[in-house]
Amino acid sequence: MADTTSLEIPADLALVAEEKGISLDVVRRALALGFPADAIKGQLSLPDATAEAAEAFVAEQERIRAGGEITVPQELKAVADEHGWPEALVKRALALGAAADFIGNQIKAGIPPDIAERFIAQQEAAREGGMASTLDLSWMKVPTEWGIRVRPGKKGLTVGMLNVSTYADIPDIWPYQTEMPRGAYPLAGVPAMGYTIYEKAELWADNAADLYEEAIQRRWRPSTDIHWETLEELPDEVERAMCQLCTHICERALLSGDVIGRWLPEMSYGYHEVKLYLSTAAYDAAQHFDVFRKRAMSNGGGMGMQSPGYFHRGIIDTRAWTEASIVLHILSNSFLMGLFQLGEYVAHNEAESNIFRFSMQGLARQLAYGTGHLKYFLSKKLDRRGEIHAYLNKAEAVFAFEEERDVPLREALIILLGGGKGNDEVVDGVRKLEYFRRRWVRDYLARLSAAGIDRREKLHPYLRQFAAEPAPVPA
Amino acid sequence: MTQEIRTKATFPSVEWFKAIGEIVNGDDGYNRIGTCDATVGFKFPDLQKNFRLTFEAFEVADVREVSEVEAESTDFWLEMPFERWKEMLENIKANGKADLHHTLNTIDIEIPEGFARSNDGYRRDAFYRFNQTFQYFFDVTARIDTEFA
Repeated sequence: MADTTSLEIPADLALVAEEKGISLDVVRRALALGFPADAIKGQLSLPDATAEAAEAFVAEQERIRAGGEITVPQELKAVADEHGWPEALVKRALALGAAADFIGNQIKAGIPPDIAERFIAQQEAAREGGMASTLDLSWMKVPTEWGIRVRPGKKGLTVGMLNVSTYADIPDIWPYQTEMPRGAYPLAGVPAMGYTIYEKAELWADNAADLYEEAIQRRWRPSTDIHWETLEELPDEVERAMCQLCTHICERALLSGDVIGRWLPEMSYGYHEVKLYLSTAAYDAAQHFDVFRKRAMSNGGGMGMQSPGYFHRGIIDTRAWTEASIVLHILSNSFLMGLFQLGEYVAHNEAESNIFRFSMQGLARQLAYGTGHLKYFLSKKLDRRGEIHAYLNKAEAVFAFEEERDVPLREALIILLGGGKGNDEVVDGVRKLEYFRRRWVRDYLARLSAAGIDRREKLHPYLRQFAAEPAPVPA
Repeated sequence: MTQEIRTKATFPSVEWFKAIGEIVNGDDGYNRIGTCDATVGFKFPDLQKNFRLTFEAFEVADVREVSEVEAESTDFWLEMPFERWKEMLENIKANGKADLHHTLNTIDIEIPEGFARSNDGYRRDAFYRFNQTFQYFFDVTARIDTEFA
């Protein structure tokens, strides 16, 4: 027997052995046989582990290691024969120190002998040459570009900065149907993920990576960043109007999250910048829902009335991402940005001012993505400009239909802008609402124009009435 | 914003904008808002003066007096009569920050052409995307003594 007295026993293993009354000499002999300390500790920790069983096991392993005959218990041999396990394989498992009961259970569980053989061979190799010799390592020869060393800039290490060398190649058509990240090496036989958008023009925006970083950098917390303590009691009709506006925005936010969530799984992995940005846009939508619901329920009011929903269904029912994006991000969000501006303008306290100002930022990123995507789409699909107008013709018509029927929102805005529901206040509110409509329609047209769409002549008649320059705002 | 900085500068001037830039560049509150990348013009038609500020990452990276064309070759520019600028800054000084009637957004709405203007509907949205940063920048003006030209 080899001299094992110099083998060091880890303190936790020694403690377990002492608790079980197992001599440290037996533990050292087990270590000398090549069993890992953690494995020995695990075995000794079992409820039925005794000093006698440990001594018997170690002695048997020493006998086998010294060239002694391995005897397969009769019951185990019967199980092995029944499941087609060769006796030699069972003996190799026993030689590795596996208990007969354990081997029998593995055989009965249906592990085929060829799989078991691979595992046993790996364990034998580990015992002979250490675990390192068992590694395959052929994956290290993967033919991707190596030696990339991107350094942080003023804004840290951003997603956009990783687009260097061949990793900057963003193909017009992504050829893989799996979840393989761009730049990785494809594995044959991986099942398709069912994406439907494989063409860059159908989702790309040059600003997507920057918008993602911007969203991550400019996070804020509705629960603590808003000065909720500045809320104060408002006249009943004003509180109700503010709560109605908040209810409307909550509904819009949920819709926005749903639309993005519906389309994200359709987008292939080749364009991760867009997927990353849109995941933050979904988060922004959740945050908008969060903060406006909190406002509605923190000043003596509550939630208001649901909107008719025609326009919402119009957005959800879009059949292509580009259509969904221009309707949601440019048309719907131009209107929503107008509401946010209006909300900040009529804010009665710092909390409300903060809510609308913070929220503007995430919404503006969505506008930027929508405009950026439309611009890229049109630069690649010169023949599809008419299609964009067709999408907008339909969406603007449904928007107009919705606006005319959403009496609660319209009246809430009039009360907020006029400051109450008295006659003079309503007259003032109506005038100011007209002014706001002109502003958001102007901004909507300007965004489309920046993307390459001149919409002035094709604008829906309902919106066209607001398309002139805004008159001075009433005092 | 409790930091006391005894700086005196005349508005509008490169020195004045630089003084504000130096304050925000070392300010934790400004950093916490997040990165901001935008070029912003400042136009004072009645004074025939124009400036351009470059906001980059966590700092105001550049301030310079420029021509009107250069001020307009930005993401957006801020423009209103000098007296209105003065009123805004005096309000900020008096309150420590803009009150509800003097925020950038409120002033933008009150001016039919907009306080924030641009030749590009996409680039103008930087005004909204980084609104908290720009508001903070102006609120910081409460920390210096501004003399008006």
